[in-house]
Amino acid sequence: MLMHEVLVVGGGLAGLMAALVASQKADVAVLSKIYPTRSHSGAAQGGFNAALGEDDSIESHIFDTVKGSDYLGDQDAIEVLCSEGPEVILELERMGVPWTRTPEGRVAQRSLGGAGFPRACFAADFSGHVVLHTLFEQVLRRGIKIYPEWHLVELLMEDGQVAGVLAYDLARARLEVIRSKAVILATGGYGRAFAKTTNAHANTGDGMAIAYRAGAVLSDMEFVQFHPTTLYGTNILISEAARGEGGYLRNYDGERFMVHYAPQKMELAPRDVVSRAIFKEIKEGRGFEGQYVHLDLTHLGEALVAERLPQVRDLAIRYAGVDPARAPMPIEPAQHYSMGGVRTDTWGMTSLPGLLAAGEVANVSVHGANRLGGNSLLETVVFGRRAGHRAAQLARQEPWPTLSAATITRAYESWSSLLAGRGQGVQEDSTFAIRQEMTNLMTSQVGVFRVGSELEDAVNRLAKLKERYQRLKAPGGMQPFNYALMDYLEVGYLLDLCEVIARGALRRTESRGAHYRLDYPQRDDQNWLCHTFVRRGEDGPEFSNGPVKITRYAPQERGY
Amino acid sequence: MNVVLNICRFNPGVDVKPYFQEFTVLVEEHNTVLDALLQAWQQDPGLSFRRSCRSAICGSCALCINGRPGLACQTLIRNAITEGGRITLEPLPHFRQLKDLVVDLDPFFESLKAVVPWVVIRDNHDGHMAPEVARKLESPATCILCGVCHAAMDDPGEVKPAAVVKGLRLALDPRDALGAARLQLMKVPRDILKLFIKDLPDRCPKGITLPEEVLML
Repeated sequence: MLMHEVLVVGGGLAGLMAALVASQKADVAVLSKIYPTRSHSGAAQGGFNAALGEDDSIESHIFDTVKGSDYLGDQDAIEVLCSEGPEVILELERMGVPWTRTPEGRVAQRSLGGAGFPRACFAADFSGHVVLHTLFEQVLRRGIKIYPEWHLVELLMEDGQVAGVLAYDLARARLEVIRSKAVILATGGYGRAFAKTTNAHANTGDGMAIAYRAGAVLSDMEFVQFHPTTLYGTNILISEAARGEGGYLRNYDGERFMVHYAPQKMELAPRDVVSRAIFKEIKEGRGFEGQYVHLDLTHLGEALVAERLPQVRDLAIRYAGVDPARAPMPIEPAQHYSMGGVRTDTWGMTSLPGLLAAGEVANVSVHGANRLGGNSLLETVVFGRRAGHRAAQLARQEPWPTLSAATITRAYESWSSLLAGRGQGVQEDSTFAIRQEMTNLMTSQVGVFRVGSELEDAVNRLAKLKERYQRLKAPGGMQPFNYALMDYLEVGYLLDLCEVIARGALRRTESRGAHYRLDYPQRDDQNWLCHTFVRRGEDGPEFSNGPVKITRYAPQERGY
Repeated sequence: MNVVLNICRFNPGVDVKPYFQEFTVLVEEHNTVLDALLQAWQQDPGLSFRRSCRSAICGSCALCINGRPGLACQTLIRNAITEGGRITLEPLPHFRQLKDLVVDLDPFFESLKAVVPWVVIRDNHDGHMAPEVARKLESPATCILCGVCHAAMDDPGEVKPAAVVKGLRLALDPRDALGAARLQLMKVPRDILKLFIKDLPDRCPKGITLPEEVLML
């Protein structure tokens, strides 16, 4: 049996930051289902928000974030996020992040949506990538143990406390127990629940679902971000930086249609506003082929596109056959980010003792009903750092939690049996078929525009998919690099989360941030200025409401 | 269009040696080799290959396409298809095949450690960097550690190309205390480094360029 005082699950920005900080005071390991440098944090392009500029202020960053969240963000957590931003950026600078610079040699900043100032620190449009690789360098420097291509399958609980994990080593096809004093989940989001998503194949919500199954509280799961600008067809991300650098959105008539939706912020309104505007244009017949609109960078000039948006340019040329310096890109909104997640306090502590969470998997909640561009990367490093700090503290103060032989045997045997594919199985059904139906359903009925009847139908159909899933037999058995077996587990995680998302969306009879109900188009502070908490009960998810932390900013009408 | 993927299969627990298996998949010209592979996977869920981002930033899906190392997600069908509508897929050369298209990456990641792969921060660094200096770091910092440069060498021998890219990128960084000493650390003769730098943009999926001046440090 393996033992690490602190076990970080997930090797993206939040996970590596947590591991680095915890390793200063505790024995730490990182378990990740892909090699850390493969993590989807690396696909983030735009930047990290921090109020570094002389004209900017932490106060202004806080207000923009609160307003961006449609007043559902917890203001104490947002204060932490924004206050610690500047120092974390400088810490990353000293670790070796190759930030783009101003003529004076300072870290350069660009505008992203919903922000009052150019506030996002960046490295061309490889911002997430360069920070991920810099943190990985530091992990090598500190000699932190990595378990690459190990999948978390269960949190091992003893007397209500997380005492370790059961993990599956994909290469050796073995189940392993790792005991620990603190487990930090940093497993990212569940984008692959949707047919149209910017997310990587790996983003299947494992940590969120496994925490939920262990009894942790999830919150605000109905709030799903749809990024306005993804390449039509492939849904590959085209960074908000493209608009931050001056790009225009145009409809079929060539009109900058954002003038009708956000006359002040225009293209740099928050993502929920822009995604709705695009869909409305398309629906009312002002899209191209009834499917997409244009993101136009041609007026920016080739030099600026090449210097500031090289990745965007490569992606558009390769995957859409369009050079954005010369022609507009066809774009459509697609699922991008999960505002909801495992409920935590501002130190990453979840409702389960011994379990922490940071980054997209967590809901702390700094994004509320809608996340601003540049705030998720900041969240990963700020709250990764805090979770690492808290976990190390636990490791110093707490004794090793008990983990009984009975618990280990029960988990080991039930998972061995499941993974070995024992049982009947249904020949004519498959993970592929269920996945396809689930993802299409989520995109078409639990998307940007929602309505009660469709959500109800989605809930019913998801329940049927779940029944079908439960009759499947795990494919291929415990064999090295059996990806079909992992795919089978991942679809199971996604089905659990889809149920929570769809039922949460049906339950919340108002429109706020990214959650838009055609049958309840107004924000309803009287009844719904509250978090949605959900816990797994005997007969499925049990929902309740929780208070939003409001310190300085009372809810106002949100206009851009 | 129908495309025939000719895929190198190997399951060490079962097969004595690798063999090829054909899969016929229905794809469009503008789809990627990864799209085709995902279809083959539906036909045989036991087929093993790595993939994640599908936008050439994570480096997971590096493999050998018609004998040339590259990323499956970055290679369009129209650029990969050969006579008779065939595409041959093999694991990366110079890496140990573990199963089908999956290779052993541990020695590759391990090789980075030889070049002290992190900035050793100078005591007097004040947080500033001239923008023209920062710009020189940009291209080598886009390395995705996919292993393609290693696989593309005729005989890598003792040269660990990804580690060289990392080492040279750090040598260019004015924050780094080691600087020019990194060239000694690499233990690779300068003429070989020079040749490597020259060939790199063509071999690297990210088209990484390193200024030759790094060798003059």
